Amino acid sequence: MMQFAEHVQVRPEKFGSVIFETLCEKVFVTNKTGAEILRLLKQHKTPEEIIAQLAHDYGCSIDLIRNDVEEFITNLTNHALLKNAHK
Amino acid sequence: MIENELRPLSRLGGTPTPKGNIFSDYTAPLFIAWQLNAECNLECLHCCEEAGHQMPNELTHDEIMDFCQQIVRAQIPYVAISGGEPLLHPDFFTLSEFLRRNKVSIKVETNGTFIDHEVARRFGQLGFRSVQVSVDGATPQSFEKLRRKGNWQRTIDACKYLVAAGVNTEIVFVPTKFNIHETGDVIDLAYRLGIYGFYTGKTMQIGRAAQNWDILCPSDTEYEQFFKVLSQKQAQYDGKMKVYYYPDDVIEELKYRLEYPSTSLLVIPDGKVKLIGPLPFICGDLRKHRLAEIWERYQKAWQLTHVRAFTQKVINDSRLLAESNRWQELSIN
Repeated sequence: MMQFAEHVQVRPEKFGSVIFETLCEKVFVTNKTGAEILRLLKQHKTPEEIIAQLAHDYGCSIDLIRNDVEEFITNLTNHALLKNAHK
Repeated sequence: MIENELRPLSRLGGTPTPKGNIFSDYTAPLFIAWQLNAECNLECLHCCEEAGHQMPNELTHDEIMDFCQQIVRAQIPYVAISGGEPLLHPDFFTLSEFLRRNKVSIKVETNGTFIDHEVARRFGQLGFRSVQVSVDGATPQSFEKLRRKGNWQRTIDACKYLVAAGVNTEIVFVPTKFNIHETGDVIDLAYRLGIYGFYTGKTMQIGRAAQNWDILCPSDTEYEQFFKVLSQKQAQYDGKMKVYYYPDDVIEELKYRLEYPSTSLLVIPDGKVKLIGPLPFICGDLRKHRLAEIWERYQKAWQLTHVRAFTQKVINDSRLLAESNRWQELSIN
C-alpha cells in the first residue's frame, strides 16, 4: 500500500493541489490531474486502480495513461513524499 | 495522453504563472507563524519580539481555540508556534493537541528552559514536526551574556531530553559579536547531541537587536569567517545532520518579498496579523476578521502604495527596521 510520508501535507487548490513536505520545508504543486491522482492515493488506491479509474474518467485506454501515472508516482516516491508501507 | 506534473518550488515565489507560483493562487496560507504570547523568562539582548512581559489583551482561551478551528478548516498544513516563550502559555498543550489531532504539522520555537523529561515525552507523543531550541553559544559564558537570565546547561539538557524522547530536535543559533567565534563548536555540539538540524543566518536588526545593534552586530570580516565555517560544517555533516544557513540578510528578504510575498501569515499574541516580521504593518485582526478575510486583506495589503513605498524606504535605509514593532494598522477596503 502506498502512503504519504509522515510530514507530508496535501491540499486541493484551484490549479490542482499543493504538497507541503514540512520536515524539509519543500513545497510542490501539481495540476488538476496530479491532484486527482493524489486524491486517489489518499484513498489508498493502488497504482493499477488509479490507472483504471483515470482511464475511465478521461475516456482513454489504460495503455495510453499508464506511463504518465507511473511516472508521477515514481516522482512522488523519489522526492520522498510517498512510500510503500510494506517496505 | 493525460497531462500531469509535479513541480517543486524552491521558494514560494518565482515566475508568476497562475499555477501556484504566486501567493494569490492559493485559497489559504500554507504556513502560520504564531507568536502565542509575549511573556518570556529570559531577557535576550537580540530578541526580535522584545519579549518579556505579557502583552495587554492577548487572545483568550476561546479565541485561541476558535483560531485553531479556522486553521484546520482552511487546511493550513503547517504552524510554527513561538512567543515570548510559548511553554509559559497555559493553553500551549491544549492547542497543540488539537492541531496535531487534526494532522496539522507543528514546529515550536522555545528557549528550552521548561523542557524536562516529562515535557519532552509529551512532545514525542504528539509527533511535532520539530522542536527548535535556541542555543546561542558553545559555552555558558557567551550564551548567558546574550541570553540574560538564561542557563546554558539547562538548555543543553532540554535538547538531550528531546532527543531521548524521539523528538525531531533542531538548534537555532543567532550570531553576534559575543558568540560568532563559537559557530563551529555549536554545530559540533549539536551533532554530538543527536540534533536533526542546525539553523542560522545573519542577525536581524529588529526589536531589541536593533536597540543593541552596536554591541551585537558582527563585523563584515566576522561574517565572512562565519559563512566559511558554515560551508565547511555543511560539507562535514552532509548526510548526517542538516546544517542550514540563510545567506541573505533581512533587507534581501524584503526586496524579494516585495515582488513575491510569502504564502504565510504572522499572528502576534493579541490576534493582530502582521504583513511580515520586519515591517510594522497590521493587515488583519482575528477578533474582527475571519481567517479567509484576513488572507484576502493580506493580499490587498501588499499592493497598497503606502506599504510598497515604505518597504522601499526600509530597503534603502535599514535603520527603519527599528520601526517593525511599532505597529500600524492598515486601512484595507
